Amino acid sequence: MSLRRLEILQWVGLLLGALVWTGQHVVGYGVTEAACSPGGTHWGIRTDTWEAVLMAAAAGCVLAAGLAAVTVVVRTREESYESPPPTGRVRFLAIAAITANLIFLVIILLDGLGSIFNVACRQG
Amino acid sequence: MAIATPPTPAAAERMERLEQIWESRPGILGWLTTTDHKRIGLLYFWTTLALFGAGGAEALLIRTQLAQPNQHVVSPQTFDELFSMHGITMIFFFIIPMTTGAFGNYLLPLLLGARDMAFPRMNALSYWIFLASAIFIYTSLFIGKAPNAGWFNYVPLASKQFNPGHNIDFYCLGIIFNSIASTLTAGQFIVTIFKSRAPGMSLNRMPLFCFAMLAASFGLLFALPALSADTTFLFLDRNVGTHFFDASHGGSALLWQHLFWIFGHPEVYILIVPAFGIATSIIPAFTQRRLVAFPLVAVAELLVVFVGFGVWAHHMYAVGMTTISMIFFAAATAMVVIPSTIQVFAWCMSFITGFARFKTPLLFIAGFIFMFVTGGLTGIMFVAIPFDQQVTDTYFIVAHFHYIIFGAAVFPIFGGMYYWFPKVTGKLYFERPGQISFWIIFVGTNLLFFPMHIVGLLGMTRRVSTYPSGLGWTAYNLAETIGGFVTLAGILLLLGNLFVSYFRGPPAGPDPWHGPTLEWTTSSPPPEYDFAVIPRVTSAYANWDPVDREADRLNLADGLLMLEHGHEQPTVTPVDGRLAEIAQMPHESPWPPVLALALALVFTMLLIGLYGVAGIMGLVCLLALAGWHSQEPPE
Amino acid sequence: MSGYSVPQSQVGRPTAWWGMTILIASEATLFGTFIGTYYYLRFKTPTWPPGGIPEPKLVVPLVMLAVLVSTTVPMRLAATAARTGRLAATRLLIAVALVVQSGYFAYEVHDFSDQLHRFDITRNAYSSIYYTLLGADHAHVLLGVLFNLWLLGKLARGFTRYRIHAVQAIAWYWLAVNVLTIAVIGTLLSARA
Repeated sequence: MSLRRLEILQWVGLLLGALVWTGQHVVGYGVTEAACSPGGTHWGIRTDTWEAVLMAAAAGCVLAAGLAAVTVVVRTREESYESPPPTGRVRFLAIAAITANLIFLVIILLDGLGSIFNVACRQG
Repeated sequence: MAIATPPTPAAAERMERLEQIWESRPGILGWLTTTDHKRIGLLYFWTTLALFGAGGAEALLIRTQLAQPNQHVVSPQTFDELFSMHGITMIFFFIIPMTTGAFGNYLLPLLLGARDMAFPRMNALSYWIFLASAIFIYTSLFIGKAPNAGWFNYVPLASKQFNPGHNIDFYCLGIIFNSIASTLTAGQFIVTIFKSRAPGMSLNRMPLFCFAMLAASFGLLFALPALSADTTFLFLDRNVGTHFFDASHGGSALLWQHLFWIFGHPEVYILIVPAFGIATSIIPAFTQRRLVAFPLVAVAELLVVFVGFGVWAHHMYAVGMTTISMIFFAAATAMVVIPSTIQVFAWCMSFITGFARFKTPLLFIAGFIFMFVTGGLTGIMFVAIPFDQQVTDTYFIVAHFHYIIFGAAVFPIFGGMYYWFPKVTGKLYFERPGQISFWIIFVGTNLLFFPMHIVGLLGMTRRVSTYPSGLGWTAYNLAETIGGFVTLAGILLLLGNLFVSYFRGPPAGPDPWHGPTLEWTTSSPPPEYDFAVIPRVTSAYANWDPVDREADRLNLADGLLMLEHGHEQPTVTPVDGRLAEIAQMPHESPWPPVLALALALVFTMLLIGLYGVAGIMGLVCLLALAGWHSQEPPE
Repeated sequence: MSGYSVPQSQVGRPTAWWGMTILIASEATLFGTFIGTYYYLRFKTPTWPPGGIPEPKLVVPLVMLAVLVSTTVPMRLAATAARTGRLAATRLLIAVALVVQSGYFAYEVHDFSDQLHRFDITRNAYSSIYYTLLGADHAHVLLGVLFNLWLLGKLARGFTRYRIHAVQAIAWYWLAVNVLTIAVIGTLLSARA
């Protein structure tokens, strides 16, 4: 695999998961505020549907990002993260991306499942 | 490559030219117009140390008032001002400027192999604005109108109706004023870290201290606007008659809390992440091994701040949000622990697998790990919404965050002061008193903060100016007060030790610890131009690479890579650190203090209510900016 | 010889661009919190706009938005002209942008004070966030106008590397302000939904 392609996979791995989790977290929380507040009830938001869709889409993207990062780490296994740039740097950031995406995936699943399996709009 | 005497005539002549080019103006004028990152770091250091003293005095007054039930050492009104100013001072005027302004400014260019920051004049501006904002807010204390609604300043207590005096206006304006300095520092660090590294230092070869500063800087940049928005809305509500927080006109008191904690939670990670950076510098030096799991620690620094942006409403579990809203924050809070845990494991494994020498800096880091883990364990308990709802607003919370802040931020600051003392002063500190100061502080802080867990669970609420007898709280409070004074004794010993060592300590030489990073390759203290030769870098532990350091010596002998034709330093590509161009840097300038003064007048006029004059002073600021940019670099 | 040589392709963006990016990131975040505040207050309020305040007009704000956003074209062209060393073209393009931007700003000031007569900022939470969000946007437009004035003053004495970088940085500032204005107007007009 060419260096150019490895670099693209590395950046996708590092940034896509972060961006997608940010969106899912903000929109997911925002949906609960809108659905459960007086000014938002007329939009008829079904929180379970929204949260399920957000969770599935976000989890899918984060898995893809993780896969991209894993691909890079596998393809650079002859090198170490201390190797000279660009290969060493690419491997280094891909290792970082795997760690990050694991964490984002778990938060996304906890967010989605937690909001679906609790009664909507009940004060806690 | 420490140069006591230059090796060849060619080198000597070039070093002479470097000295002349980079030399500071003598006297007070030199300090007022300085743009040298080391001088600015020292200015921050002394100022934040003085403010630490003020915050500490406030703490000891609080502890004295609370040592026994039903005391009248201070009135309830004064008590409110004391705990508010204590929090504001320690967070905004001690920890942030000490870790970023003092440690960050002094060390970042040195660890990156650079000669200065990317924007030297803006660096000076940050300091003068910071100083002005500290004077601004402390004026409130001297006139008896200090902020009195806590450092978190909740409405409606902070609204005009319940707080008509100038106290909260000092808060709003002082916080915004201070945040300008921190935002400028954050931007400075980000650009410097990406652009001003030594050629060859790709991101995978950058020291962990720099990753920590990068994480804190991103945090500051994206968190401070939420606080600025919040305080702007409050200032408008109080002085113009808007209704952001007024429920009777469609506003929401919870809006204040959301915006505050959107800033406030990332802020607490910003407090500790630079200290993590200090720890990851000290541990390799005193275990003589590279840190375990370097890429995981680097990403953990960044992740703890990034994920930390998603947890804010865990400070609001008791306000009546729906469960499905709170779940998002519980989820992120549970997972934000992971990056910190990765770091704790990496540090501990480095201790175990290296040759640990428990000199004073490493003792403070060991203490930091103990305190941070203790505070972190109580932090994990707060993930459970039902448990959090029971202990919210009790001393259990106070115990948690003091273990974290004092343990995870202040202990590394103390350790860092000992660690880099030889580099900054050229002298060694006295080891025995150093170790004793550690133990006294360690015992003192545990005596001060541990009983707070118990007394919180026994029902003692926060921010009470006194309490009745017979509740079983008295003994714990007394112990805490004693702990506070023991801590003071330890800190005085620490400061006294460093003071005496400055005058009487043996000479340190450039590298007393066989430290891992580039600051140990240059003299102690470093010359004005930091590095005579732009260093060759092929790893994150550059001082442990003999081949590269030998290459530097050969370059020096041949007079190569010295960039002695002006205030020159290399700029690199942001990711791989390849040389981009040689930049001409600005040197001393009067504009930063001038602009800071004009800005101070803007805020003072806003405080007094002379909005028109404030606008005119704003125009003066713009004129000062134009004057600043009338000086262009040589082509 | 200094011992360094640099291939031209590698020079990368000037530090002025980086500094401006930091400013844009900070200001964009600030606007993000204002927009978040708008929707938070909206969710809490059954009728929006509340208190008898009329819905915002649609056509005139969109037309004015288009006028402002169109200045992206001369500003971008000015940045390219500066990079290729064409001084007269750079000055002309910035002057054209400045005239349109100043006209926009003057109209908006008039419209702002006009609206204040119809419903004051102290009416309720809607009016509070409405005028604060809109006013913040206008303040950033004003700053951009002052930047362009300063640029023309500097360019009156010809090009230097510094001034070329300044043109690029300020063109980037204007792109950001135009995008932010789209977000702000979009948010305020969403009250009609």
